[in-house]
Amino acid sequence: MPSEYEALVAALKLTSIPFAEYGWKTRPEGAYGVVSLEFEAGTLNGDGEKGDRAWEGSIDLFYPKLSDRTDLIDEVEETLTEIVGDSWSLNSTQYETGTGLFHVEWVFQCLDTPEEGEADGVPDEG
Amino acid sequence: MAYQMKVDGIEEISAMLEKMDKEAAGIAAQALYDGAGVMAEEVRKGAAAIRTAPFKYAREGERLPSPEEKEIILNAGAGIAKFDESGTEINTSVGYKASGYAELNGKVKPVPLIVNAVNSGTSFMKKQPFIRKARNSGSPKAMNAMKAKITEAFEAMTKE
Repeated sequence: MPSEYEALVAALKLTSIPFAEYGWKTRPEGAYGVVSLEFEAGTLNGDGEKGDRAWEGSIDLFYPKLSDRTDLIDEVEETLTEIVGDSWSLNSTQYETGTGLFHVEWVFQCLDTPEEGEADGVPDEG
Repeated sequence: MAYQMKVDGIEEISAMLEKMDKEAAGIAAQALYDGAGVMAEEVRKGAAAIRTAPFKYAREGERLPSPEEKEIILNAGAGIAKFDESGTEINTSVGYKASGYAELNGKVKPVPLIVNAVNSGTSFMKKQPFIRKARNSGSPKAMNAMKAKITEAFEAMTKE
């Protein structure tokens, strides 16, 4: 499991939004999120070995109240920046008429070899 | 002291450069078409690999797409958009934007909406990002296809 992904999951679980990996068996009330690691996006190969491997994953945020939008989106984006730097983008935004939920999707790329000096990747407090 | 230099064939080179200038846009369009074809095929392969389960209402958790939803995506196929030329650029996109409508469970729904629900997921459908995967795996192949077309076209031109 890429270390940056593990750090991202840990950091997302520290936010005010309930987060689960890969989905919820029972959807929580109110806003919630899902984080998933999806596929290998690229690898720096050399000397017959796989070097740094980049993985692609996504974060989905669902929320029922439009007024919550700014705070929740800021919280997710700040966490993404803290852990993967600028290796993320907003991929889509949708509104589900059936459930009345807003859905925002981000795509990120992460490495399984963290940079020196970023040992645990968990954001600093404060 | 003066040196004299002589270059043979300058008229031929000049004529070839002029021809390249005239034909470059056409060659770029052919290359783009080949690259887009590769991407469309990657998307088709991704769509063929979508996991399904019989339709059920997912009031609490998530469900997989139904076989009918997958069939609609496969039948629609990823299309190549009309080429957009602006200045020295020529662009296109591959996807389901113009895939029209399909009947699902007695209701007519836009195909792009079904594709989006599968690709990005919803609160009640597990996402399967087959288009992003296709972009990731198909980009190098598409680049190679475009490079091959351009090389072939210029080699043919220089042999004439």
